[in-house]
Amino acid sequence: MRPHTIPNSPFPRSFNESTHASSDPDAPTRATDGDASLARLSAVRKGYLNDDFAALFVPRAHLQPNRAPLINIGTWVRTIAIDRLVDQWLLRCEDQGVQAQIVSLGAGSDSRFWKLMAGSHASTLAKYVEVDFSEITGKKAMTIRKDRTLNGYLGPDTSPQLDNLSAGGGTGISSSVYNLVPADIRCPPDEALSALFTPDTPILSKTVPTLLLFECVLAYMPPSDSEALLAWFAAQFTDSAPLGAVVYEMFGLEDSFGKMMISNLKSRGVSLPGVVPYKDQASLPNRFTKTGFSRSQAWTLKDIRKEYIEAEEHERVSTLELVDEIEEIDLVLSHYAITSGILVPQGLERWFAWDLPKLQQGQV
Amino acid sequence: MGSDLDRQIEMLKACKPLPEADVKTLCMKAREILIEEGNVQCIDAPVTICGDIHGQFWDMLELFKTAGDCPQTSYLFMGDFVDRGYFSVETFLLLLAMKVRWPDRVCLIRGNHESRQITQVYGFYDECTRKYGSPTVWRYCTDVFDYLSLGAIIDGRVFCVHGGLSPALPSLDMIRGLERRVEVPHEGPMCDLLWSDPDEINGWGLSPRGAGFLFGAEPTKAFLHNNSLDLISRAHQLAMEGYKLMFERMIVTVWSAPNYCYRCGNVAAVLELDEHLGQEYKVFEHAPMDVRSIPARRPPAEYFL
Repeated sequence: MRPHTIPNSPFPRSFNESTHASSDPDAPTRATDGDASLARLSAVRKGYLNDDFAALFVPRAHLQPNRAPLINIGTWVRTIAIDRLVDQWLLRCEDQGVQAQIVSLGAGSDSRFWKLMAGSHASTLAKYVEVDFSEITGKKAMTIRKDRTLNGYLGPDTSPQLDNLSAGGGTGISSSVYNLVPADIRCPPDEALSALFTPDTPILSKTVPTLLLFECVLAYMPPSDSEALLAWFAAQFTDSAPLGAVVYEMFGLEDSFGKMMISNLKSRGVSLPGVVPYKDQASLPNRFTKTGFSRSQAWTLKDIRKEYIEAEEHERVSTLELVDEIEEIDLVLSHYAITSGILVPQGLERWFAWDLPKLQQGQV
Repeated sequence: MGSDLDRQIEMLKACKPLPEADVKTLCMKAREILIEEGNVQCIDAPVTICGDIHGQFWDMLELFKTAGDCPQTSYLFMGDFVDRGYFSVETFLLLLAMKVRWPDRVCLIRGNHESRQITQVYGFYDECTRKYGSPTVWRYCTDVFDYLSLGAIIDGRVFCVHGGLSPALPSLDMIRGLERRVEVPHEGPMCDLLWSDPDEINGWGLSPRGAGFLFGAEPTKAFLHNNSLDLISRAHQLAMEGYKLMFERMIVTVWSAPNYCYRCGNVAAVLELDEHLGQEYKVFEHAPMDVRSIPARRPPAEYFL
């Protein structure tokens, strides 16, 4: 078990001298979770997003400054797109009269489970599993346990309390729907993720349509590890149930913007080995097609912002704050993409229609 | 006073902000000079034209290394001196001190960030209050902003402006007739000059910035023709290669903030016009990102992580 080296503060690296001295090379990567949750909180407070739970995962939320408009806008685009892919998955399950499982890898302080449980698809969720470093899940477990609102959505507890406390040190949560699993997803999945499919009390069923979420996760891992992870999931579900996956992260970092990103992140101890194979948008689906998935497509955040968000929503957002970074927004958003992959058993080809919904004509 | 000013310029060149009292005197002198200048300042070639600087002080020193020292080199800066970068105070005060020292060798025109409202969102206000403990210096500087010219014309043939054209201003004379000594309005002709962008469209279009307009090749051609001009030189938009010619070289964007916001990875450029108005674009890169150019306690460039 890794020691608790991560500071409680979600401030980026440079504000935390102590963590620079840390001998744990993964601490900077874990600290990126703070960036993500602060960005979400900022976008919520500025009115870009609705999320009653975002603030509950940020320590001393009321003291945190808002992010720049560019960060708010990117967070808004990313959230809309992933929300829609998740919604489409759940709607598809509802159409077939089945439930769904969602597994969020490297979930960090994500609040999506609670948003879903407070929404109209709650009863469609058979399982919602979050996996992350034990340092992160330990903190999250404590946050959830201490908060009546968050705790209230979990469903009946199924964890063998005493065992869990003694073994995992309280770094996980097991409930009938929500499961928080500490694991290093770079390790061989058979060991690291054994809890998901244990013969006695598996968390996941291999016959329920399952959606995997990777939000800014695989970029931090060696490509061989992320390929092993995707291939392992694909093997679990081949011929048994539809398996979908959504990856959101940066790509195409060989140009001058990308080189600067790599250098800026390096100065805070974060490296991006997982980005190396993905030099352009066309290369992104390879991630899935080479790991056993049958189909894949990729959208840049720049294109999603321009072509997948309704005019009324653009209009609403344009009034929220003054934005002068027009070219910069395009530049940054063209280096982030959402890639979906799907694997379906024979006879269930209708699942291939799972897609990011396009705008009807006249909506742009 | 001349030696005082030279001393201040040396101080500012070392990126040391002036004492508040000196800022007050400098701003008063600058206003006296600027008030005598027209909305469209007339300039002689040769001159070196610069785009947005945005408080990237050490990168501006790279610019001077590339294009030469003032007063040997005559400079025209097309606005957006402040906001975004870490050294807006030192950047603007150095340019202002140069203007006061060599009024005929330095021309400063107004960008959309030379505004009370925008500087409160994009950093200059915060930087002033952080460095001086009060908004007084910000007030002195923003009062100077109101006196800056809206454009410049070089040898009667090259029109320089921060943003671009306005559908309400078909002629240079109409620009000359504007009352410029106000905060940048949210809309209208003066706002358009500072906010508009050229774009591959027909005629005029709405701007995604929420201020100013998009203008295509036709309005550009008409403006050049009606005012007997060869070229419009403007800034306002990031150009990854430092400059960008459009509409068969009728208009050029000059961008002088390399690695904009310490994140974009772009190069920067200045446009040197020789005495025959021949164009030479000089490209330069950002200063080394070391302890000096980047303050120790600063938020790092933000990404989605």
